[in-house]
Amino acid sequence: MSDYAISTTALTKRYGAKQALNELTLSVPVGEIFGLLGHNGAGKTTIVNILTTLLEPSSGTAVVGGHDIGTAANQVRRTIGYLPENVQFYDNLTLGENLMFFARLSGVHQPGRRIGEVLGFLDFTGHESQRMGTFSKGMRQRAGIAQAILHEPSVLFLDEPTSGLDPQGVAKLREIIIDLNTELGMTIFMNTHLLAEVTKTCTSIGILSSGTLIYQDSVAATLASFPDQDSLEDIYLHIEAGQRP
Amino acid sequence: MNLNRWTAVILHELLCTVRERLPQLLLAVFVGMIAASAFIGSSARTSVTGVYREVLSQGLTTAPNPFDAFSPLYYARNTVIYIVLIGALLAIVIGVHSTLRDRLAKTTDLILSREVRPASYLGAKLTGLAVFVLLLLAASAVINIGCVSVVVGHVLSFGDGARIAGFYELAWLFMLPFVALGMLAGLYASSATSALLIPIVVWSVMIFILPLLGTAAHPVSLLNPVASPPAAEAGFFSFTSGLVAPFSVGEQFKHVSALILSDPQAAGTMTGGLLTIAAFAVAGCLAVTMTRRERMRCEFHD
Repeated sequence: MSDYAISTTALTKRYGAKQALNELTLSVPVGEIFGLLGHNGAGKTTIVNILTTLLEPSSGTAVVGGHDIGTAANQVRRTIGYLPENVQFYDNLTLGENLMFFARLSGVHQPGRRIGEVLGFLDFTGHESQRMGTFSKGMRQRAGIAQAILHEPSVLFLDEPTSGLDPQGVAKLREIIIDLNTELGMTIFMNTHLLAEVTKTCTSIGILSSGTLIYQDSVAATLASFPDQDSLEDIYLHIEAGQRP
Repeated sequence: MNLNRWTAVILHELLCTVRERLPQLLLAVFVGMIAASAFIGSSARTSVTGVYREVLSQGLTTAPNPFDAFSPLYYARNTVIYIVLIGALLAIVIGVHSTLRDRLAKTTDLILSREVRPASYLGAKLTGLAVFVLLLLAASAVINIGCVSVVVGHVLSFGDGARIAGFYELAWLFMLPFVALGMLAGLYASSATSALLIPIVVWSVMIFILPLLGTAAHPVSLLNPVASPPAAEAGFFSFTSGLVAPFSVGEQFKHVSALILSDPQAAGTMTGGLLTIAAFAVAGCLAVTMTRRERMRCEFHD
């Protein structure tokens, strides 16, 4: 097994004349919480869609959890968990019914027992019989995490997981993400806009600008490399403006 | 997709449909239709028998009551047109709901990021809806047999019961392509509104426009449970009849139903009509399962 949970080589995606990803080469070591930063339209969701096998690249290769996304897509799907941005779920069904569907779809053995374990881990028990239509945004995100980890993936993809959450929701989700990484050993790849959260959650970052990866390093090394910048936000704006260390 | 996953999708489809209260609504509509059909038949029988007795008592006729010669299946005959008009529309609504549900809930990416092929997933959804419609029609058949038994005053013979059951099996086959049509609209439409509107336009063309082109029938006659005969003597219509008759699936359904329900006006064989309806069902199912991953992931424009 490679030391990298995710590695891409010259990954490119074109939509007609528009180049969404430009020969992206990226490696995320096993056990990292990797935050991908970038402005709207930079290509963050496109990368996640390709790495989760939802979208085919125009060229280039990617390996996730030791499996090639092009030649071993089903093995990749077994290895990953995914929470897209703004997932709604089936509002007429309860949390338990939604999770049961995704557990069976993932081929989980003893799905009832596993759902109980996951909800216990997420400190989310007692809501199984509640309809999803009554859930707050924060509860939906926790349900989203629950469905993503039902089949015990080794790599978890989160697309803007804290988008639209209140400060308490953000703090709770941060706690969950760190627990998933430290207690369950999952490698986490997340797209985010909230730079303050990246400092508190991620172990390494990458910055994407117009489909090109312009920076990648650990959070600690990044903060050390820009001693004159007050925050990661300033560093991000600095790098985006083309002023690398 | 293995059997467990296939079953999971079918059960999920049934659960979602039940939670949307569609079965209750559909069963109420079907029971209403069947009851209306039986009531109309019963009223006609009562009125005609009343007039007949009066005429008989006045010695104006010696002929038998015309209703005595009627088969009990006469009272199920109006249900044919309710299936064509209301059943098909309900099938479309079920189909549209099924695929719109995933797009509105934005769960498509969750599903496709698992070991699930689009064709298998959509096939399982279609199977779930086919099971749902079958259960609904089975309940309707039992209610229909009960209603007709009440109207004629005795339990139907096995043969008549089997014919009504056969008619509902045909109704299931007829409704299946409309379920598929609804699913396709839910997958391909760029907005939720057009997803519902487009298949209804297609349905109206298949049920009303094509038969008019092929038979020169009066529009109102298309509401008759017996298929309109082709206008053989008219050059244009005899030509168009050959072209559009196979696509007039509603008329084919009425023709085969009339034969199953022993309508004395019905003539010919069931083979052509059955093949046409089955071909539509197969084509609809294939079209749904051939939908590509990219199409399933498309977002609405509104």
